[in-house]
Amino acid sequence: MSFNWLNRFQQEMNKPADYAEKTLAAYKLGMKAKGSIAGVQIRIDPDGCEQCRTLDPDAIYHPDEAPHLPLPHCDRATRCQCVYRPVMTYQIQDET
Amino acid sequence: MLGVLARIPLFLAYRRFGWPQLLPLNITISPSPKCNSRCLTCNIWMKRENELSLDEWEKVLASLGTTPYWFTISGGEPLMYPGIVELAQLVYKYNKPGIINIPTNAILTSGPARVRRILETCPDTQLVINLSLDGVGQKHDLIRGVPGNFEKFEERLAQYYELRDEFPNLTVGIHSVISVFSVNHLDELIDYADESAADQFITEIAEPRIELDTVGLPITPEPEDYARAIDRLMDYVESKQFKGLAKITEAFRMEYYKLVKQILDEEEQTIDCYAGWASAQIYADGTVWPCCVRADNLGNLRESNYDFRKIWFGDAIKQVRRSIANKECHCPLANAAYTNMLHDIPTLARVGTKVIKPDAITGNKSTKITENRSA
Repeated sequence: MSFNWLNRFQQEMNKPADYAEKTLAAYKLGMKAKGSIAGVQIRIDPDGCEQCRTLDPDAIYHPDEAPHLPLPHCDRATRCQCVYRPVMTYQIQDET
Repeated sequence: MLGVLARIPLFLAYRRFGWPQLLPLNITISPSPKCNSRCLTCNIWMKRENELSLDEWEKVLASLGTTPYWFTISGGEPLMYPGIVELAQLVYKYNKPGIINIPTNAILTSGPARVRRILETCPDTQLVINLSLDGVGQKHDLIRGVPGNFEKFEERLAQYYELRDEFPNLTVGIHSVISVFSVNHLDELIDYADESAADQFITEIAEPRIELDTVGLPITPEPEDYARAIDRLMDYVESKQFKGLAKITEAFRMEYYKLVKQILDEEEQTIDCYAGWASAQIYADGTVWPCCVRADNLGNLRESNYDFRKIWFGDAIKQVRRSIANKECHCPLANAAYTNMLHDIPTLARVGTKVIKPDAITGNKSTKITENRSA
């Protein structure tokens, strides 16, 4: 996929305090308003904390049920490099 | 425009040596992420922000002075923003730009009336309204996620043509995003645009952007698919005849299309990027970014007494400039790319050659698209 640098770049960005609340609220609105978003995935930092490495990288969550990032005892706190990614309906259709 | 050309060597020096300090000449402001489209290639419409008020925008715009030549009022859907007319008027009052560019999804019935009010009060700037079109008929509706969107597009297009007859400073364009969803029907879009009375037909490749929350989404066409489609568009442009300023703008567009192909192939910053020096974006909540792809937080205007200069000439931006200068990023973002090409001497030389050569970018078939207006 083109522009892979942006994946790493986004992961390395410092997270604002309301990152999880704001991002998940946007996705929830997107699903409620019948956009083409199907859920949310977590792109896990391979060098991240022990907790994040226990997460299922393929899991697709409803925004209400997604773990909040940074995870509660992440030693990187706002420098946590796990990020939310929207999952679009066309991605799921492509896989099936 | 001559003032912009005169500043090119200054921006070259600014990027290289950090001096002289200059405000950007290309500013994008996005007063709200709200949008009534549900595009497959964009997720900005889901966002909600603590948006700057018009009073706050006034202070910000006053701090920018008259340096910016090109203003884009973006979104979300900019014409949905309740204060869009007043915001454009503030830009006109404080910044006196040569061009105010407003993209629109052409859904709102009130759009043309709002544009009329802007035209009535901003007579000395060129107002460019670019209507989004990603497919003809139902293909457009499918990509934009709004049933009946194409029909509304055609209604609005006709309304903007009527406004254009009344206001000589209005340019009406058709803008297409070339994504995995549209790359295989670009021919239809070209034919449609050719049959239309639009002043310009412009395209931009779908790319991941932090602003749009599209990082990691498979929306960008494969390089070979994009090349095949854009070569067709370039052949079309080459077959046309252009006069005056249109000859220059089309020469730049051809360079842009080649640049995008090059960036996709080489996956690097193939010409120097001036985002963070000559171009910038101010997001709805007052955060200043070098561009919407990286969306680095350079500082928030609310925390800087609404003074853009404090952020632009401050410390936080220095690290971001180093990153951009070190080519840690690359992208084909059109808004930045045109500013970059303006500061790339080989590109300028090629554009100059094309414009001067009598048979360059000319053909034997007249065009409805770019000959409607030479400016």
